[in-house]
Amino acid sequence: MSDFAIETKKLRIYYGENEIIKGIDLKVPKNVVFALMGPSGCGKSTLLRAFNRLLELNKEARVEGEVLILGKNVYGNGVNPIDVRKQVGMVFQYPNPFPHLSIYDNVAIGLKLNHLVKSKEELDERVKWALEKAFLWDEVKGRLDDYPASLSGGQKQRLVIARALALKPKILLMDEPTANVDPIGTRKIEELLFELKREYTIVLVTHEPMQAARVSDYVGFLYLGKLVEVGLTREIFEKPKHELTEKYVTGVLV
Amino acid sequence: MSGYRIRKGKEIAFFLAIAILTLITILPLFHIIATVFINGLPSVAEKGFTFLTGTLSEGGIGPAIIGTFVLMFLSSLIGLPIALLVGIYAYEYPDSLIGKWTKTLLQIMLEFPTILVGVFVMNIIAIPMGSYSAFAGAFALAIILMPYVAVYTHEAMRQIPFTYREASFGLGLTRIKVIFRLLVPLSKRGVLTGVLIGMAKVAGETAPLLFTAGGLYQSYSIGIFKPVGAIPLLIYTLVQSPSKVDHATAWGASLVLLLIFLLVFIPVRMSLKEVKL
Ligand SMILES: Nc1ncnc2c1ncn2[C@@H]1O[C@H](COP(=O)(O)OP(=O)(O)OP(=O)(O)O)[C@@H](O)[C@H]1O
Ligand SMILES: [Mg+2]
Repeated sequence: MSDFAIETKKLRIYYGENEIIKGIDLKVPKNVVFALMGPSGCGKSTLLRAFNRLLELNKEARVEGEVLILGKNVYGNGVNPIDVRKQVGMVFQYPNPFPHLSIYDNVAIGLKLNHLVKSKEELDERVKWALEKAFLWDEVKGRLDDYPASLSGGQKQRLVIARALALKPKILLMDEPTANVDPIGTRKIEELLFELKREYTIVLVTHEPMQAARVSDYVGFLYLGKLVEVGLTREIFEKPKHELTEKYVTGVLV
Repeated sequence: MSGYRIRKGKEIAFFLAIAILTLITILPLFHIIATVFINGLPSVAEKGFTFLTGTLSEGGIGPAIIGTFVLMFLSSLIGLPIALLVGIYAYEYPDSLIGKWTKTLLQIMLEFPTILVGVFVMNIIAIPMGSYSAFAGAFALAIILMPYVAVYTHEAMRQIPFTYREASFGLGLTRIKVIFRLLVPLSKRGVLTGVLIGMAKVAGETAPLLFTAGGLYQSYSIGIFKPVGAIPLLIYTLVQSPSKVDHATAWGASLVLLLIFLLVFIPVRMSLKEVKL
């Protein structure tokens, strides 16, 4: 078993002819919040989607190199992306609970369709558990049959987190989970991260250096498809080695 | 000040123009509905309930009403599953050879003269089997139904924002489950609209039935391989007759056809719940 939750080796990603991720070697330790920060368009979302092979939905995208999830190369021969995605949950830049499913069913659907629970009681229990984990239970327990349209942006995003947690993944990928959420919702989600990292490894994409500083243990700075610097969050923010990183964390570079 | 008035005047003129144009486009629709009611109501009222249940010689169009429902049911049974699958396939594999071909083919079928469909089905079914039949009629109608349903299904699926596709696959589901358990239900309003439009289209068709269904208006001996009647087909037949009584029956039948449309399709269409994003 590897010591790392995620490890990439010479990872390159192309959209058609465009090289977006230009050779990245990255190691994400287990049970931490790893922040991936960088300016808009530098390839954060693209890199994140390579970890759970969601990038394959985009026919233009092509991946070279290796991504090891808990020691196993997910781009190896015979690996089924479906198994990878069960282990590696994802939360998206724009809160996307399924609009046609109730709050309850949004959390339950992955469990039902993957046959992960045996009885209705177990399903109820797991849905409650996931909503509690996502700090949402108290706000929705009285209206589980409502549709997510009635939730605030921050609640929607926590519902999506519950949807992912319900499958009990090992790793949670979060693509700017607070980009479309108000400040109060943002604080709740950030608090949630501290809880979750005890059991999960979290890769958090953000374009706000301050958020990375607040919530992460490790941080990687991505710029124009290259990993400029990576290390303990405190060290990177106190004494960045690279000039570009310094400019970015002080807000000079946007 | 005068600049403001000119702007305001232009706005009002523009609004009036739009209002008049809208009226011109919907006026024929109301005219049709009104004409059908004015001419059809007396003959329906005169016969009363017999008009809906009686045979033609009793002064009713019962067999034609049943026939229309039988044809709608059978053609849906034949056409809907295929059409839904084709529409979904074209969405899921847009670049595949079959995907590209179906899209082109469907467009052609939408525009295809429906009478030729009737001639075609007569040749491959009615003639070999030696008689007109509900099956032949339904088959012809299914050919007309399918492109509508397939095109609407395809279109409805394409409206789904990509992020829901990502979310579905992100749960570690197989493609089949993603499509049939999440994305199709997500776009059910659009898909069902296509189904309804296809069925409405089929309910009102005459030409494809001319050489396939045969017609049956004097008895209720309904069977898949027996000739069957239909309201539009009956109207077409009655209008050609010189008798005033037949014309009156045709107007009554038109009213019934219109009511089936209004009573069945509009409420169903409105009750389909909008999915709020
Ligand atoms: N489907 C696609 N096809 C082609 N190019 C794409 C596609 N998606 C993204 N790109 C390009 O890849 C680059 C990286 O995009 P990506 O979405 O990964 O950036 P990001 O760092 O997540 O940005 P943001 O902070 O704005 O979300 C951009 O230059 C973008 O234009
Ligand atoms: Mg992004």
